[in-house]
Amino acid sequence: MKKTGLVFILTILLFLAACASKSYVKFVDNSIDRQIEIKDVKKRVLENGFTQIQVDGINKTDKYILFKYRVVWEDKDGFEIKSLATNWSDFSAYKNANFRINIISPSKKAVEYQLYINKD
Amino acid sequence: MKKINILLSATSISLLLLSGCAQVQRIDPNNDNGAQVMGLDYRDFNEAAGKAVQSMLKSPALDKKDGGRYVLAISDVKNDTMQHIDTDQLIKKIRIELLNSGKVFVTTAIGSKGNVDAMNKQTRELSENENFKQSSVAKKGTLIAPDMSLSGKILQRNIGIDKDKQQVEYYFMLTLTDIKTGFGVWEGETFIGKRGSAKSVAW
Repeated sequence: MKKTGLVFILTILLFLAACASKSYVKFVDNSIDRQIEIKDVKKRVLENGFTQIQVDGINKTDKYILFKYRVVWEDKDGFEIKSLATNWSDFSAYKNANFRINIISPSKKAVEYQLYINKD
Repeated sequence: MKKINILLSATSISLLLLSGCAQVQRIDPNNDNGAQVMGLDYRDFNEAAGKAVQSMLKSPALDKKDGGRYVLAISDVKNDTMQHIDTDQLIKKIRIELLNSGKVFVTTAIGSKGNVDAMNKQTRELSENENFKQSSVAKKGTLIAPDMSLSGKILQRNIGIDKDKQQVEYYFMLTLTDIKTGFGVWEGETFIGKRGSAKSVAW
């Protein structure tokens, strides 16, 4: 009984920790998930204090597709940090192949991100 | 006959007035799906500046050992295209982004024409003007010399494909130089290519 209670509390804590993160990757158009899939999102703080994110995905289709992405960066208090990354940038997804998006934060203050992916 | 002439004139004038009132559409830079042009537009400058800055921030060239900031001077950025471009369209975006990154201070005391603020010199000439409180005048020896310099050029190549089509290639080439050693510590090139009607003008 005690064990079940502990597992329940741990699950709740993990859920809350996940909710606390304001960073995410999102498809603007839901139909995109039929074409590509996000496999992994890595985030790290570099020695110089800048945050780096790497998104790994796969193009599940039999055709080359050009997508675009934009990143909105926020400071630790949730305030947006304006940068050129908020403009759309193209990225290529070759047919039946993996793709990778690698981005550096615009400053040390930028710690959370929202990465949006859309059709070109 | 006279009546028909008057009617025709009135119709022509009305049409002219209407064409003058044709709707003007304002560009929404956040969601601009407008047709591409053969020349360079703001979307191309945004892309080139964004890629250059990302590349600079990823490289260790601007990481000062003590965690401080380098002083960056903006040198010549040559417009080697057939268009009348103010290269500040590119450089200003890079300057803002690098300044906001906290990695550099951008000096306006020295640099290429257009990147120097004349007030740096003029205010120092006030040291002999008794109308100014002398303790508020910038002293000699207070300007900081740059550690780094940013230079480059925008290059254009036009290639005819056939009598109806042409290809226009643009290269945004930038170099970051360590002024003490003269070494290029970062180099970046962004290519933007466009293919379209040979009748389109790319200048």
